[in-house]
Amino acid sequence: MTEPRGNRCSLGEALIYRIARTIEDGILAFHGFGSPLVQLALHVAKRTHAPNLVLVAGATYAVNPMPPFLAPTSNDWVMDRDAECQLDIEELFDLAAAGRLERMFLSGLQIDRWGNLNTTRLGVDALKLKLPGGGGGCNLACDARHLTLWTAAHRAVSDGRGARRFRLVERCDFITSSGHRAADGRTRKGMGLVGNGPDWLITELGVFDFDAAGHARLREVFPDTDTELVRANTAFEFPISEPVATTPLPPAAVCELIRSLDPLRIHERELRTEDRLRSFSGPDFRPERHA
Amino acid sequence: MNAAVYTQADKRTDLETLIGHIRPGDCLAIGGGLSSREPMAALRALIRAGTGDLELIGSAHGIDVDLLCGAGLVAASAESYVGFEQDFGMAPNYRRACESGTVAIRDSCCYTLVQQLRAAIAGLPFLPIRSVKGSGFLDLHPEFKTLECPYTGEELVLVPALRPDVAILHAHYGDAHGNLHIAGPPVADRLFARAARKVIATVEQIVSTEELQRLGVTVPYFYVTAVAEVAYGAHPTACYPFYGYDRPHTAHYHACASAGADRFEAEYLQRFVYGCPDHAAYLEAIGGSATLERLASWKDGPDAWMKLYD
Repeated sequence: MTEPRGNRCSLGEALIYRIARTIEDGILAFHGFGSPLVQLALHVAKRTHAPNLVLVAGATYAVNPMPPFLAPTSNDWVMDRDAECQLDIEELFDLAAAGRLERMFLSGLQIDRWGNLNTTRLGVDALKLKLPGGGGGCNLACDARHLTLWTAAHRAVSDGRGARRFRLVERCDFITSSGHRAADGRTRKGMGLVGNGPDWLITELGVFDFDAAGHARLREVFPDTDTELVRANTAFEFPISEPVATTPLPPAAVCELIRSLDPLRIHERELRTEDRLRSFSGPDFRPERHA
Repeated sequence: MNAAVYTQADKRTDLETLIGHIRPGDCLAIGGGLSSREPMAALRALIRAGTGDLELIGSAHGIDVDLLCGAGLVAASAESYVGFEQDFGMAPNYRRACESGTVAIRDSCCYTLVQQLRAAIAGLPFLPIRSVKGSGFLDLHPEFKTLECPYTGEELVLVPALRPDVAILHAHYGDAHGNLHIAGPPVADRLFARAARKVIATVEQIVSTEELQRLGVTVPYFYVTAVAEVAYGAHPTACYPFYGYDRPHTAHYHACASAGADRFEAEYLQRFVYGCPDHAAYLEAIGGSATLERLASWKDGPDAWMKLYD
């Protein structure tokens, strides 16, 4: 656990804040399971700019819960304490199918330029790695009105055999959840997918939106990253929204809120060790006095 | 085929007889989800009975599916998630079984499963969904068909009715007649109970029918084939309010499973499954009353509750 001092915000807090900013007030949104950054983003949104958010918690299907702390397992009574009411699995997915789920949050071990995700398997013909699976992501990638994609592992790592393993890939080995186009170029609409698809892809290196063609487009970087770093860690070429902005960082009050919501710092488990050490000066940062 | 209704006055039985309702090759729907209310004692008894060649269906699962994979009882998995979330990550035995080819991978997704169960519940051959188009699931499931909707003209995916042979559930309370009360999120348990040919359940406590009516019936008795009282029957998953999730035990489980199939057998299965002739022996093996008191300490407030996750 790393606790940033003073008014500095950690990378995890910055990611939570940035995901929270994609959440509109007055909508119904759902976080799945195994996604502490998103769980916290919804709670931050609800307690700041989106008080009328209908927050549906993953795994418990609790509506507007007030967890005393974040647990590392989503289907725990911790996570549905003081909920206003409870849904069940069919009611949440029916809401989505009927177009009432405005925003969903999805991630993947592979993410391509169109926002297709793979959480099922690595290896196209021969299975190299069985992933846990996508839960309801396949259904909700179609049915939710909008999608926020995220990953805290954009940075390509060595596979131990001299090659680099990318998270943002040229092509997914399996499409668990559909983005804007199939690999053969067919559009969502052409495939009969009703929702509008991903409008954000937030990573620990930068923030993408999606252009009119449905292609991921770099829009923001962090204070310690730049366009070249993002490019070097992405397997596909991408357009850039010039000028690339610096990602807005959370005010100190939001960092305090996140620390109170997640005293066990469960969200840092989504981050790699080196990323847990990254921190930034928030917008209301006051330099410490040095002797 | 229509499922039966079960009307016996007294469905109480022991764990071994309960498990005898599962036959080799059955399609099994396991209740609960992730770290909560998995019918773990019943699954351990199933492993001791050696009933294998099972097909598993479900939404979000973890140690239950992983344990059955580690014991070699699973032939196919149509789960939509099997893992330990941010707590321990991937499910080692499940991965190994899938990657070695001993478990056929038929991954599904939550709403697809819901619609397939609801078709079975309503006695329909299929239900339509809009999603799945454009995904790899169509290749994994050649039984899914597409149809142009005669009302709107849009192309829909038809998913066939899915009727599990057995739903295996762990509930808080049951009565002799087979009514079940589940406190907190039911996950997919009610769907499983209505769709399956047989429902077998362990419960923390058997109470009178009057008391069960007062608590509220989650699953009506006529779906239920047999019920066994097994206190702490969900351990190491949680069955709040009785006990929280046993994270240290799960950490040990995951470490054993990650160390390979042989070590998992020697260090986990022998010690906690094959080596425990019954559930009482298991409760001693996990640390007896000291462990059970620790797992009940979540009630002492958020600080005590947080300590369970250290």
